[in-house]
Amino acid sequence: MLCERCKIREANIQYTEIVNGVKTEHHFCAQCAKELDFGPYSAIFDSDFPLGKLLSGLLGVGETAGEEQVQVVCPTCGLSYEEFVKNSRFGCPDCYGVFDLLISDKIKQLQGNDSHKGKQPEDWKRKQKEMAAGSVFGSQKEAQADSQAKAGETGAEGNLESETVSAGSGRSIPEIEEEIRVLDARRQEAIRREEYETAAQCRDRIKELREEIGL
Amino acid sequence: MTRWFDEASEKGSAVVSSRVRLVRNLDGYVFPSRMTSGESAEMVRRLKGGLRELDSLDGKSYEYLDLTELGSLEKKALTERRVINTTIAAKKEPSGLIFSEAEDTGILLNGSDHVRIQVMASGLKLPELWKQANKIDDYIGERFSYAFDEKYGYLTSFPTNMGTGLRASVILHLPALSLGKKFNGMVTEMSRFGAAVKGVYGEGSENYGALYQVSNQKTLGISEKEILELVTKVALQLASQEEQVRRMAMEKHSLECADEAYKSYGVLKYARRLSQKDAMIFLSQMMSGVTDGILQFKEPCSLYRIMLGIQPGNLQLGADRPFDKEELDAVRAAFVREELPELI
Ligand SMILES: [Zn+2]
Ligand SMILES: [Zn+2]
Repeated sequence: MLCERCKIREANIQYTEIVNGVKTEHHFCAQCAKELDFGPYSAIFDSDFPLGKLLSGLLGVGETAGEEQVQVVCPTCGLSYEEFVKNSRFGCPDCYGVFDLLISDKIKQLQGNDSHKGKQPEDWKRKQKEMAAGSVFGSQKEAQADSQAKAGETGAEGNLESETVSAGSGRSIPEIEEEIRVLDARRQEAIRREEYETAAQCRDRIKELREEIGL
Repeated sequence: MTRWFDEASEKGSAVVSSRVRLVRNLDGYVFPSRMTSGESAEMVRRLKGGLRELDSLDGKSYEYLDLTELGSLEKKALTERRVINTTIAAKKEPSGLIFSEAEDTGILLNGSDHVRIQVMASGLKLPELWKQANKIDDYIGERFSYAFDEKYGYLTSFPTNMGTGLRASVILHLPALSLGKKFNGMVTEMSRFGAAVKGVYGEGSENYGALYQVSNQKTLGISEKEILELVTKVALQLASQEEQVRRMAMEKHSLECADEAYKSYGVLKYARRLSQKDAMIFLSQMMSGVTDGILQFKEPCSLYRIMLGIQPGNLQLGADRPFDKEELDAVRAAFVREELPELI
């Protein structure tokens, strides 16, 4: 199909316009689309994304416009689902979780897939490991506290120290875990204050401690 | 100071340059489009502080540019050299750029996303570029916590970047192939494999200079390695088809090929006025002449560097006032005359 504006080039952008509930489809070539003012869409033409399809068409402006819908708004950045669709742009990392159910099918259409494959950040992987390990220790603690309660002991808080002692250091795993937590908080605070040396020291110490308890 | 695009054009290949771009955001902060001016400035300062010792990572020397303070012509010139895109050039809120002296590495701070790492080189070098970008990514990841989700990967402003956040692209010079009737069909075919092919300076026959960019369309559910392989494969495929068509043309019409190349050189070497369109067309024909081994220079010469240099922003760099079209055409002709070495 030829571009409806210049009638010379092949139209490879489909633009759906809704005026007073009437849906009109437009077909433009990339050059004309760039020249026309699509307002918020302009960013898409400039971004490095190949101009195969106009996102908002996929994301379904037509489905939401005009109809009464429950407004979904991201509590972190205040972006509404409608705004997201209009600009084809997220407002913050939390938007992904907030709009997850509404977008997952469309993401799949757009990307041909709906789950990530490839690189994961190191600190994210570490956190995942910790969480997995943490839940194990957590349940141990609970179990012991349980048995202590059953034995009719009082003042259970002082007794945690004697649990699962890690090899070598003579300190219990929960103790070391606590130190890691404190160090990590210190590390994040140091990053916030842009004291990168301190942050690096904390990071190295955390690494040592993790190795000590086999994380 | 030598920049990456100064590398001389050589005989044989249709591949001009490669680029790898990685988009990242920091956990716990809204994306730049939702930030106030103050928050943007704070984010730029934070990132800049964290990356101030980047030199120690790869031994390159980096400089910092405050994009807010840059003039519009300088930003236009950076856009033409593909260091930033037009969206960033038009952005009013604080953003910054750390870039290497050779202009091959750039880290854009608080553009459309918090961080955009870009590495460029001449020739087909995607795996090498990925290695460099990956190293910088790890370096930043040690200092800041990235916004990442198990399902959606690296979380980005635009859904078209989510997942790996990686866009790999290669610029090819396809003057013969793009003239053929089958070219549009080939482009469509490539998009079925997930690779987008588009004109660098325009669509269809208006893409003067015949430079085309191949890049991956998708970023989610495809690994970095797969992306690099896909784009490399498609680039090689197109390049070898171009080279094949050129070889055939050389066999059957060697005189016409030589005539075209030498005439283009003659015009470019002696013209007193050159429109952008004409300059691009003649430079493209010279590029073919170099690829075919017809033209040889007495000194190394990068025709791609001249193509970047004749764009309006770059031509006006350092001028005390904007030029009108007549002046621009004269300045362009002078620039090309100056840049083109003698032939052997
Ligand atoms: Zn058109
Ligand atoms: Zn949000």
